Amino acid sequence: MATFFRLGSRQVLNHFLRNEKVGMLSLVRPVTLKAQPACPPKEMGHDERNMKLGRPQSPHLTIYAPQLTSMLSISHRATGMILAGYTIMWGLGAVVLPDSISCYLEDLAAANVSSILLCGTKFMLAFPMTYHFWNGIRHLMWDMGLFLTLKEVYATGYVMLILALGSAIALVSM
Amino acid sequence: MSREMQLFRLCRGSISQVRCYATAAAAPQAQSKATREKKFEIYRWNPDEPNKKPWMQEYSVDLNACGPMVLDALIKIKNEMDPTLTFRRSCREGICGSCAMNIGGVNTLACISKIDTNVAKSTKIYPLPHMYVVKDLVPDMTNFYNQYKSIQPWLQRSDEKKSGAHQQYLQSVGDRQKLDGLYECILCACCSTSCPSYWWNGDKYLGPAVLMQAYRWIIDSRDEATAERLNQLKDPFSVFRCHTIMNCTRTCPKGLNPGKAIAEIKKLLGGFAKKDAPGLDTTALQR
Repeated sequence: MATFFRLGSRQVLNHFLRNEKVGMLSLVRPVTLKAQPACPPKEMGHDERNMKLGRPQSPHLTIYAPQLTSMLSISHRATGMILAGYTIMWGLGAVVLPDSISCYLEDLAAANVSSILLCGTKFMLAFPMTYHFWNGIRHLMWDMGLFLTLKEVYATGYVMLILALGSAIALVSM
Repeated sequence: MSREMQLFRLCRGSISQVRCYATAAAAPQAQSKATREKKFEIYRWNPDEPNKKPWMQEYSVDLNACGPMVLDALIKIKNEMDPTLTFRRSCREGICGSCAMNIGGVNTLACISKIDTNVAKSTKIYPLPHMYVVKDLVPDMTNFYNQYKSIQPWLQRSDEKKSGAHQQYLQSVGDRQKLDGLYECILCACCSTSCPSYWWNGDKYLGPAVLMQAYRWIIDSRDEATAERLNQLKDPFSVFRCHTIMNCTRTCPKGLNPGKAIAEIKKLLGGFAKKDAPGLDTTALQR
């Protein structure tokens, strides 16, 4: 036993551990552990991430049921755009055309256009104005916080439609 | 406890017998009726087949052998016909908001919307509109939840650290009533995803659901961060992309009114209204 321990002297141990060819220490890679705060996952935008994943967008405009709420809203926009178009048209007409508007109106009266066509044209001119006017008032009410329950939204919607159609017809018949 | 168990063991036979009678009574009735086959067209997309475009799959469900709600039909389809059909669901009683989807063109909760019993017409089911689809009827809600986080939906007070743990804050009955119709929101995102403004500007516009919660904290009499909260919303996009289309109120499965809440925020932001002083001294019990 004693011989065994004597054999295991420092030299043998050194040979066993530190020898360049057979030493065990050459196999050991010194590693230092160092605490570091976890690095947050790379910030990626919501759209960017989903597009990278190739996710489709669920259908929206094409599948959503047409409702009074959205239909009146989109037609408010549409009538606004039509009115802007009319304004630009009249303005350009006044600049470009050689005669004044009364001149053209007299020509129109002399041309004997059928009354249906005339009424139709007048309605096309009048209705966007009356619609945008009455629905605009409805929007101003909403901005004051009035008529915002679902029932009132629908009721004012129908009332507005009746008023817009009525006043457009009144303007046409003038 | 052991006694109860004994009693239960004694009665178990009769309980199961009663159940047998009940099913026996119901069975011939169900058989005598003709089947009522209702068609469901359901939006499908599988991330494991990314090159395949989303498609509509048709399923036929016998309404006589199915529960009354759309979620019952979906579960029946998943259990009996197609286990790959994917959708979220949890509470089946309209309180968790998981099963929000577009049914028959309108956003609602599948668990509390009745199946249209008109068998001649098929019911179309889509995921919530204008959302990225994770799979089938499951949309990615990350953006929605982040927006909710951004409004800091919790009570904020300057004296919180000093006294919060010991006594409750006082709130008058009137002040508490202002929260009715706001706090019931289950964040199912039906309203936000029904809003065309949110479709086009969902990255910057907060949407009705989140704005209603913002308002819920703005007008809470106990909250002191009102000015900061309003300040955070003061930009052209967060609130003012709302054009009062009112699809949100129309679609809310809980019957709440997000459109009204947004209008109230606009009034506060525009200076046309001011938050009332608390009806009771909020910290009276702290001192």
